[in-house]
Amino acid sequence: MSGTTASMVRLEGLVKTRSQGGSVFELRVPSFEVGPGRMVAVIGESGCGKSTLLDIVALVMEPTGVERFEIAAGPSGPPADAAALWARGDEDALAALRREHFGYVLQTGGLLPFLSVRRNILLPAGLGGEGVPAGRLEALAEGMGLAGCLDRMPSSLSIGQRQRAAILRALIHRPRLVLADEPTAAVDKGRARAIMDDMHRLAREESVAVVVVTHDTDLVLGRADAFYSFDLEHVSPNMTRSVCRPCPGGAP
Amino acid sequence: MTPARGPLRLIPFLAAAHLRHEWVLTLCLVTALAAVISPLLVLLGLKHGTIQTLRERLVEDPVFREIRPTQTREFAPAWFDDVASWPGAGFLTPTILPLSSVISVALPDGSALFDLIPTAPGDPLLLENGGAVPGEGEVVLTAEAARRAGVASGGEIEVRVTRSRAGRGEAVEARLRVAAVLDPRAGSLPRVYAPLPFVLDVEAYKEGYAAPARGWAGETPQPYPSYDGAVLLLPAPLQPIVRSGLAINTGFGRIAEIGPDRVRELTGLAPPEGFACYDLPAPGAPVTASSLRAVDQKLRGHSRVLLPYVRDLALRAGDRELRPVGLSLDASQAALLGLEPTPWPGFGGRLPEGGALVGCLWPAADGLAPGATVDVRAPGQAEVSFFLRVAGSIDLDRPVVPAELMGVLRTAAQRAVAFDRQAESFRMARGGYRGFRLYAAGIDDVPGLYRRLKEQGVEVVAEVEAIERIRVLDHGLSRLFWLIATLGLFGGTGVLVASLYAAVERRRRDLGVLRLLGFARRHVFFFPMAQGLIISVLGLAAGFGGYAVLAGAIDRAFAMDLAPGEAFCTLPGVYVPLFCLSTLALASLASLVAAWRATCIDPAEVIREQ
Repeated sequence: MSGTTASMVRLEGLVKTRSQGGSVFELRVPSFEVGPGRMVAVIGESGCGKSTLLDIVALVMEPTGVERFEIAAGPSGPPADAAALWARGDEDALAALRREHFGYVLQTGGLLPFLSVRRNILLPAGLGGEGVPAGRLEALAEGMGLAGCLDRMPSSLSIGQRQRAAILRALIHRPRLVLADEPTAAVDKGRARAIMDDMHRLAREESVAVVVVTHDTDLVLGRADAFYSFDLEHVSPNMTRSVCRPCPGGAP
Repeated sequence: MTPARGPLRLIPFLAAAHLRHEWVLTLCLVTALAAVISPLLVLLGLKHGTIQTLRERLVEDPVFREIRPTQTREFAPAWFDDVASWPGAGFLTPTILPLSSVISVALPDGSALFDLIPTAPGDPLLLENGGAVPGEGEVVLTAEAARRAGVASGGEIEVRVTRSRAGRGEAVEARLRVAAVLDPRAGSLPRVYAPLPFVLDVEAYKEGYAAPARGWAGETPQPYPSYDGAVLLLPAPLQPIVRSGLAINTGFGRIAEIGPDRVRELTGLAPPEGFACYDLPAPGAPVTASSLRAVDQKLRGHSRVLLPYVRDLALRAGDRELRPVGLSLDASQAALLGLEPTPWPGFGGRLPEGGALVGCLWPAADGLAPGATVDVRAPGQAEVSFFLRVAGSIDLDRPVVPAELMGVLRTAAQRAVAFDRQAESFRMARGGYRGFRLYAAGIDDVPGLYRRLKEQGVEVVAEVEAIERIRVLDHGLSRLFWLIATLGLFGGTGVLVASLYAAVERRRRDLGVLRLLGFARRHVFFFPMAQGLIISVLGLAAGFGGYAVLAGAIDRAFAMDLAPGEAFCTLPGVYVPLFCLSTLALASLASLVAAWRATCIDPAEVIREQ
C-alpha cells in the first residue's frame, strides 16, 4: 500500500445497497485506496460487486453511505470530497472530476464508432480543453503499435487494437486515475497479457493510479501492486453481503 | 489537435460526426423532411404567386383604383379637402360638368370632339401609364387622341372651345403643347388631359363667362339679388281683384294687408299716414328681380312703392353687429313716401355700378363722415368680406344700404359670392365642383373609400367586386395552406421526434460513454438538439432546392399566361427567414423528447453493457 498522503482515491466505510427482484445485495468496503504509479487489481467472481465498486470509484454511482471518499484533484492541495459532492447532487463537479482526472478502459474499449481512432483518443483532451503536446499522441501510438491506425475508424480495427486505442484514450490527457473494467475480456490470453503489460508499463511511466477489475487472477499476478478481493456472505435467503478487503500478504 | 474546446462546444461536432457516420439514415431523414418542406413551400409560393399576380395586375392598372361618381352634383372645396385627408385616398381632383367636358381638337382632316379631363400633380392614371402631369399650356393625350390628331409627345395641338350666347355662336382657340402620350392601356377613347385651371376656364367659357387670364371674352358672373319678400305701399287700398292678381304668376305666394308696425319691422321705415300696406311673401323660394318686375307691371297706373326686403340679415363690423335696412328710392318714390331719395339709384333690378352698391347712410349718432369706409363681414356659403362707404347720415339706429346689396348678401347665403375690392363689385365665386376623379392609394383602400362615400350619399362605382373576389380567394387559399401546412408540420415534427428518439436509443452506449468521459447531463441534452437542428438545416436546404425546381417547372408550364416578371409560384423574401426560423424552432421542440431521453442514460449501465 502507498502512504496515505499520496492516495489518488481513498475510500473508507463504504456501503452500497442495491435491490433487484426482491433480493438485496450489499457491498461493504471498509477501506480502499490507490496511489499514483501503482496498479491495483480488484478480483472476484461474477456478482461479487467488482463493477459496483468500479462504478462508485468512477463517480457514476452514488454510494448508499460512506465515511470518507476523496479524490486527489491535483498533485498539491486538498483532495476533492466526492461524498460531499454526491450529497449535494453536484452533477457538474462530479463530471468535471471524471473529465479532468479519470481515464476509462471498458471491456470492448468503448470507442465511439463515429469518430476516427485519432479523434477518439483526443476526445478527453478536447473535453478538458488543455490539448495534447505535439508528438505525444504519435509517441504513445508508436509504443502501443497503433501508429498506422490513427486515421482509421474503430470498426476497421481488431479487438486488440481497439483495446489498445482505448488505453491510449484513457491516458492521453494525463489523468491521475485509470479505471479498467475487464479490459482483456474480449481478447485471447496472449493479447490479454500484452495489454496488461502495457497498462502496467504506462502506469509506471505516466505515474498514473490504475484500478483493474478482472476475474482472471493470472493476468494481474506479478503486474499489480495490490489486490482487493470479496468475501461473499448470504445473510438471508433474500440478502447477500459482499465485503471487499485487501488480499492478505499483498496477493490473492 | 482538438476540434473544439469545452464539452458544450464539442457537442455540435460530435452530433455532426454521428450524423455523417450514419449518413444513410441521415439522408433518409433529410429526404423525409424535404418531402414535407418542399410541397409546403410550393403551396405557399403558389398561393402567394397567384394572388400576387392577380393583385399586381389590379394594382398596376390605376383604373382598378379609381372610384367614379355616377351622378353630377356640387361638391364644395371643403369636401375635397376632407376627402383628400381620408386614409387610403391617393389622388383627388375636381372635375367639371360632363356636358362641358369636351373640346374640339384640330385634326389633319378637320376636327373632332375629344373628352377633356382635368388632371393635377400625382395623377396615377398619367404617371403609371408612361405620362407626365402637364403644366400650364400643356396637355397629355391618350394614344388614340394622339393617333387621330397626328401628334407625338413634344408636338402641339390646336383646340377650339365653342359656345352659344344670345343665339350667337362664339369660339376661342388655343395651342397646347403635348407633354406626353399615354400608353394604350390608359384607355381606348380619344381624351385630352389638361391642368384643372384650364378645364375650369373651358367650363366657364362654355357657360358664357369670360376667362380674362386667357383673353377669352364673356360675362363676369355677377350675383343676382334675391329677397324674402316685398312690401307694397300705396296711398289708396287696392281693389280686391287687383290685389289677388299680384299673387298670380308673379312668384309671390300670397298678399296680405299689414299695419305700419309690420312695415317698420320688415323694411325699417314707417309708412306715411293713411297708406295701404301689403306684404308679398314668397315662402319656400327666393324673390328675384323678375318677380318684382312682374308685380310692378301689374300695378301700372297706381301710385306705389315696392320695397323688397331681406329678413334676419346681420353684418359684423368688428365686434359690432349691424342689422341694415335695404332701401333704394328714386326721387318720385321718395316724394311719395315723404323721404329724401337715396344717394344711389332707385330699385331697378340691376346692380348699381361704380361703387354705388356699397354706399350707405350711416346712423347719425355714430358721427361717421361721408366717404368713410367700414369693413364688414356677411355670413354665407363662404363668408363675404367687403366694405361700406358712408354716403351720408340718417336718423335711424340702423344703417341704410341699397336694396340690391341686401339681395346680393341674401344670395350669398346660398351661393358663394366674393367681393372685388378694386372694382367695388360682387361676383359669383366658384362654389364647388360638379364631380371628381378619385384614386385610392392601393387596391385594398378602394372598398373603404367606396363605402365611406356611399355613407355620405355620394353615388360611386369602383372595382370593389374584383378586389373582393381576390380577397376571398386569398382568404380561401390561406385557409387551405394553413390546413395543409398544419398537417405537414405535424408530419414533419413527428418524423423528427421519432427519428431523434430512435437515434438516442440506438446510441445509448455511445452517449453513456460520453457521460463517462465527463459530459454532464446538460451537455448530452444538446446532442439530439444539435442533431435536430443540423437535420432541419439540411432538410431546409433540400426543401428549398426542391421548391426551386418545382416552382421553375410550374412557372414554365404557365409561361404563356404570364407577363414578363410575373410568376405563379413565388415566395416573398420575408417568408424565407420566417419559414426557416419556424422550421428550426419546430426542430428544437421536436428534439426535446430525445434530449430528455439522452439525459436519462446512466453511464453505469454502459460500463456493464460493455
